[in-house]
Amino acid sequence: MFEGDGTSKFSQLPPEMLDFTILKSTSALAPRLGRLSLPGRTPLLTPGFLGSTSRGVIPHISQDNFRKYTKLGGVYVALEDFIEKHPQKTPPIFSPDGPESLRRFIALPENTLLVFGARRQPPIPTPVANTNTEAAILTSVGFKSISSEYYAAAARKLQPDIVVGLADIPFGQETVGTKRKDKMSDRTENWTRDIIAKRNDIEKGGEEKRWNIFAPLLPIDRDLQSWYLEHLVDEMADKIQGMAIYDAYLLDDLPEELHHLPRLSFHVPASPHELLRQISLGMDLFTVPFISDATDAGIALDFTFPAPTKPKDMQRSSRHSLGIDMWQSAYSSSVTPLTEGCECYACTKHHRAYVQHLFSAKEMLGWVLIQLHNHAILSSFFSGVRSSIESGTFEEDMAAFEAFYDPNLPEKTGQGPRVRGYQFKAEDHGKAEKKNAKAFRKFDGEGTEEKVKVYAAHGQQPSKKKAVEDRIDDEALIGLVDLANVEGVEGLSIEDDSQGYREPQAAIEHRS
Amino acid sequence: MAPVPMPSALTFELLGKCSVTKARAATLHLPHGPVPLPIFMPVATQASLKGLTPDQLEESGCRLCLNNTYHLGLKPGQATLDAIGGAHKLQSWPHNILTDSGGFQMVSLLKLAKVTEEGVRFLSPHDGAPMLLTPEHSISLQNTIGSDIMMQLDDVIATTSPDLARMKEAMERSVRWLDRCMQAHKNPERQNLFCIIQGGLDLDLRRECTAQMVERDTPGIAIGGLSGGEAKDAYCKVVDTCTGLLPEKKPRYVMGVGYPEDLVVSIALGADMFDCVWPTRTARFGNAITTRGVLNLRNAAFSEDFSPIEEGCRCVCCRKRDEGGLGITRAYIYHVTAKETAGAHLLTMHNVQYQLDLMKRAREAIIEDRYPAFLHDFFAKLYSDKGKYPEWAVTALRGVGVDLLSDDAS
Ligand SMILES: [Zn+2]
Ligand SMILES: [Zn+2]
Repeated sequence: MFEGDGTSKFSQLPPEMLDFTILKSTSALAPRLGRLSLPGRTPLLTPGFLGSTSRGVIPHISQDNFRKYTKLGGVYVALEDFIEKHPQKTPPIFSPDGPESLRRFIALPENTLLVFGARRQPPIPTPVANTNTEAAILTSVGFKSISSEYYAAAARKLQPDIVVGLADIPFGQETVGTKRKDKMSDRTENWTRDIIAKRNDIEKGGEEKRWNIFAPLLPIDRDLQSWYLEHLVDEMADKIQGMAIYDAYLLDDLPEELHHLPRLSFHVPASPHELLRQISLGMDLFTVPFISDATDAGIALDFTFPAPTKPKDMQRSSRHSLGIDMWQSAYSSSVTPLTEGCECYACTKHHRAYVQHLFSAKEMLGWVLIQLHNHAILSSFFSGVRSSIESGTFEEDMAAFEAFYDPNLPEKTGQGPRVRGYQFKAEDHGKAEKKNAKAFRKFDGEGTEEKVKVYAAHGQQPSKKKAVEDRIDDEALIGLVDLANVEGVEGLSIEDDSQGYREPQAAIEHRS
Repeated sequence: MAPVPMPSALTFELLGKCSVTKARAATLHLPHGPVPLPIFMPVATQASLKGLTPDQLEESGCRLCLNNTYHLGLKPGQATLDAIGGAHKLQSWPHNILTDSGGFQMVSLLKLAKVTEEGVRFLSPHDGAPMLLTPEHSISLQNTIGSDIMMQLDDVIATTSPDLARMKEAMERSVRWLDRCMQAHKNPERQNLFCIIQGGLDLDLRRECTAQMVERDTPGIAIGGLSGGEAKDAYCKVVDTCTGLLPEKKPRYVMGVGYPEDLVVSIALGADMFDCVWPTRTARFGNAITTRGVLNLRNAAFSEDFSPIEEGCRCVCCRKRDEGGLGITRAYIYHVTAKETAGAHLLTMHNVQYQLDLMKRAREAIIEDRYPAFLHDFFAKLYSDKGKYPEWAVTALRGVGVDLLSDDAS
């Protein structure tokens, strides 16, 4: 097939209309089946999930492995991962011309749905408050603010398939006053109108790609966002293509006129049980941050939906674990897959003994393999959920799942990677380990300057103390050590050999 | 006393020789398939290449990689390797593996290692218990690992050591240890044991050692103890001297070499096989190996460079989207380096592919008998003008009939 430089194909696409077909739905607050389709993209069956990216890539899964080994039909990408140079400079991501520059930059396949939001999921609370005109974000070099116009301009330049509208939510704040809640709804309405207006500036069916809009449903009581919701229904219902739901238990408050729209959950699920609860309320689409959290902790997820039926002779009083801790040495000679019957790359090509070895040796491939596996587990989980809804057994299957499995994911025991800077979450605050505590303090206090120094050290190569070199360069990258605490890091010189080659290294550099 | 010759589990098929330099092109048939020579072997120290899956490594063209005996002996350990059935099964790698003896790691990683006639004494990095690595133990481990090419335990000391008596002792001990290794080797019909020529930078010692080693008739021969920070001129003299005394029909492996210009010069001096951690290690710091030199993609200048890592590179990262590649740009590598492990994986794939591709181009040039022209072209692309050519390379190549500074590129 002739594709030229790839440009012609983009412009031949039909209008970028998102279609959501509800395939099965019994009542308002009940599980439903749907199909999300957009010309040129693989249709996404719901309930389903999007891959959560970090700097354009699902952590540990390089883009070639994404193509070969995942079944993800869509990914979620956050603007805050790309604009650390803002506002001093125009971030590089905005330089390339041509269609779908974000998709090309992050090497996302043509047929994968690209959902775009301002913040990572879950977002890290910012000490900077939102204002009437600007929303606070966190980039890898610190907190920034972006205006609604900036956000729309970014969408126009980057051309994602779906843009989640800016929401004014004071993340991390325990209690929010009524006055503040009023503001939330006012600002969110203004920002939603903004992104619609900017999108509608683009000629329908023209050369330039238009995006689809998911409008926020705020995590506040209905009466506090009633004006916003009324206006959504009366004035914007035909201009938005979906809803982004920040609190699944408020789905009840969603006006009926918006029920036909797909619902993307930004209510962070802590476990598969919580996913099921949200699904039971009629949620369609998810991001599942616990996948990468489990991976980083060295936990290979191990559950299926519906849950297996317990063999009569093996009745156990205790519930089954939702995952296997690969830091434990129990599987060091086990040549069985991580999960029997799992069809992922890790399970079909490798075995527990190897994954165990990789963790024991702190080799990056260990995380790669269980991340692929964990995504496959969730893909199967959602496909099981859809079959269960289809056959009308979801309620029973959900109860059986809850009876079969532990309510929570296993506690992490091993050296999970050091929580990496702007990826870490507020919940980690209380239980931060010692080695994390320092970084967090600095972070929490006067901004991110100290933290940034640590990042910079990641790129430095110890040139003198050979004994610590291996430890530093491998473990720092996966985040196992905090470079600030590693002996011998002082006096590192930045390896800057952008021109020509380096001088011969000592023997260990070559052969170890 | 040389023990009885061992059977060999390889065949060396010589395909062509450069009519000017000592460069050779061959195919080495190993238990897990043929590999082209000259060859660069990526180092998968602990049965994994820096985050790449075996399939990604295979895709980059690699058919022979290294594992380190010392590391695998510690983790997962001999008992586990035995239970699983060796390193190929551990890492699901269907192609060839070469293992070192473990001695080098001991001496270089462990300050307290001490060499005696019996073996290398050291303290366990786990619990500080005194341990001993003998030639017999090293071979037993490598037999369990099941590597296609095994290395003898040798007595390695820095080439820059001024102690000639110690150097001679190490050389002679390495010969005695080879005999013990050959004696201990249980699977000569399916694993190839290579000897390692020692002798520091002293050419007489090297000659003597070469004669002794050749007499023992191992399937392949390594030149060891180099790339330890010695002057490049001295390195080249050692390689040139040793290859001059080696039988034509055996593979020659120079251990620990991997900079592109070192590779092309060493090939001209008659070496066939190389390994080095540098290409994969340096990827993790954002360093991309290209025909025009190493680019440090962490440099802010690349943050807006939307060209491929190297134009024309056939690796999966650099290939364009409409050619089935990812179309990864320098700007994207800048964006993810040292922040996402996947950034390191992408650049590692590029660097491995660069090294293998360089060997492939060298091999084609040798087969077509235009290796001198290849050398001219290689250095012309790497350095902006002839004044910047490294003197050691000019001298070494002049010694085998190629004058890099002349305009005649034939
Ligand atoms: Zn699996
Ligand atoms: Zn490349």
